[in-house]
Amino acid sequence: MKETIYTSQSPLHTPRVFLREVRADLGVVYRIGWQLFVRNLKVQVRQSLLGYAWLLLPPLVTGLVWVLLGRSRVLNVAASNVPYPVFVLAGVFLWQGFVEALNCPLQQLSSAKATLAKVRVPHEAFVAAGAAVVVFNSLLRLGVLLGLTLWFGVPLTGTLALAPLGLVALLLLGLGLGWLLALLGLLYADVTQGLPVVLNLWFLLTPVVYSPPAAYAKWFNLNPVTPLLLTTRSWLLAGPMAAAPGFALVAGLSGIFFLLAWLAYRLAQPHLIARL
Amino acid sequence: MPTDTTVVTVRNLSKKFCTQLRTSLWYGLRDIVAEAWPGPTAAPGLRRAEFWSLHDLSFELRRGEALAIIGANGAGKSTLLKLLNGLIKPDAGSIRLRGRVGALIELGAGLDPVLTGRENIFMRAALLGVGRAQVLPLLPAIIEFTGLGAAIEMPVQFYSSGMVARLAYAVAAHLHPDVLLVDEVLAVGDIDFQRKCLNHMMGYLAGGGSLILVSHQPQHIQAICRRGLVLQKGRLTFSGSATEALDYYFAQQLAELTQHAPATAGPALSAARPVAIEELTLTGAGPVIQAGAAVTVTLTYQALLPQDNASWGFYFYTPDGSVCITGSFEAQPRQLAAGRHQLTCFLPRLPLTAGSYLLKALVADLATLQPLAMRGWEDAPLRLRVETPEATLQTNAQRMVQQLTTLQVEWNH
Repeated sequence: MKETIYTSQSPLHTPRVFLREVRADLGVVYRIGWQLFVRNLKVQVRQSLLGYAWLLLPPLVTGLVWVLLGRSRVLNVAASNVPYPVFVLAGVFLWQGFVEALNCPLQQLSSAKATLAKVRVPHEAFVAAGAAVVVFNSLLRLGVLLGLTLWFGVPLTGTLALAPLGLVALLLLGLGLGWLLALLGLLYADVTQGLPVVLNLWFLLTPVVYSPPAAYAKWFNLNPVTPLLLTTRSWLLAGPMAAAPGFALVAGLSGIFFLLAWLAYRLAQPHLIARL
Repeated sequence: MPTDTTVVTVRNLSKKFCTQLRTSLWYGLRDIVAEAWPGPTAAPGLRRAEFWSLHDLSFELRRGEALAIIGANGAGKSTLLKLLNGLIKPDAGSIRLRGRVGALIELGAGLDPVLTGRENIFMRAALLGVGRAQVLPLLPAIIEFTGLGAAIEMPVQFYSSGMVARLAYAVAAHLHPDVLLVDEVLAVGDIDFQRKCLNHMMGYLAGGGSLILVSHQPQHIQAICRRGLVLQKGRLTFSGSATEALDYYFAQQLAELTQHAPATAGPALSAARPVAIEELTLTGAGPVIQAGAAVTVTLTYQALLPQDNASWGFYFYTPDGSVCITGSFEAQPRQLAAGRHQLTCFLPRLPLTAGSYLLKALVADLATLQPLAMRGWEDAPLRLRVETPEATLQTNAQRMVQQLTTLQVEWNH
């Protein structure tokens, strides 16, 4: 019969037990997360008239706006060798994926507060369900983007196959930051308040709608999103195969950072519930 | 000593909370850092603005046993259930659980208002750690138990709170946990459902399940639990049989009531309050009141003016003061003289079984049936302890069915 012991000791005193519990929870996370994901889709559809159309509408409208802007030739900045609308759209979609991933843990956990305070359930399930939506939305947006690249006559090349790798790194970085933000944000409301301000500033400091000026390249590379976003975009838009400097390093660190932030949240979990 | 059949062992359990929100958030952050940096465990003392929500609590629960947690609001009952459910961490002490724990702490939690009852069954089962494939064979039984009928296909947002309770209880009940934690959830259901739940809990206990029940309903506690704990401001103040625990709890409540009630002795008589009851006693032959023995009820009153058409009566109540078991009222008019006097009534056979009771009395005007003076309704009633000389087949049977009064009968052969 399974035996559970609760004490005041930190789980890190017995790291093996701690990691075994994390692993045991993963199965539960998958089961609940999947049901939550399906539920979120169902709820979204049931309460709206347009239903599933809402999944495709936002990226389609964004795409269309940029197509019209491109046609009217207001925006003919020679940013790179691909048409500017496609260049911007690819950047914006990738940035959106990153921001959604970053917001996902705090958003999901905040909205499930009532349940988390009363029901013993791995919190990862809610985050996983949210992350599944982020991935789902990112894939839809990439689909729209591919349509537009063809429309603008950008060829599809083999580097496209590498793009998911870049996207995963970007989402992992976002989720890692998101776990830490959730840890702080479930305690202090300042996080929710300040996040939009910081994200706006971050957007401007990241070469999303422009190419980084060569003179400041060193500074831009201090921003961990830069190498991930530049590389993934170039893979998407028939660019060179070689990754931007620092890509491998940042991608690797993102993965490790994600794992550490996740474990940190798990340690914090009982203290957060006591204050929900 | 924990044995093979012990499913829950709680040792010196303590949990502190903070009274101030900001300070509590700051402590939270510090505790989280302390988790990640496990040094020597800090002394488990109280920091500024903290209090013990639970302090130094120890108990055990064995398989097939039901334990009632009794206490006033804020005594730490819900904290204890949250600790047992692993939602929050102890600050000192330990909890050892064997088997799977199911909790019915808040019924509405985890139900999605837009989804139908049927869909929510799967959702809730998943939250309790049971997958779709395992729920499917149980589905007909669960739906049958809810008794919701066609409403099972309706979105849960249109459910009444009682219907939500039915749904949630049905799911948790059918997943067969080894330990079931129940927190005051039966109160919202209707009588039919309460009966169903009580029956289910008995069956669950008979099948080897263990149960911890938090409830303010004495009849639920007595129906299900053999043992009871009384918590007072986070401390365990009594541990014994459920009936004894309830008695202890009500006695405590009563003591507090008398402490805070204005002194009834030497009441100021006025035209609006012409009669006052000064004292109420029940005396038997010896120091202990025996079941079935002869006793005398004595009421001491003070009257401002003589009362012509008065009468008096007394009533025995259950220890929680909610149910009047029996009593008597003198339907003949009698004269009350001005000044301090006594009224007595002789009972040849006290018709109560062994246990705790309350005695209330009143003096009334017989013409209008308006009470002139009352004792035990607004202020503290007299507390009685009725004993039996020795345990017999008869008294054991009385205890088993929780019989309150006795009847004089003649069995035909």
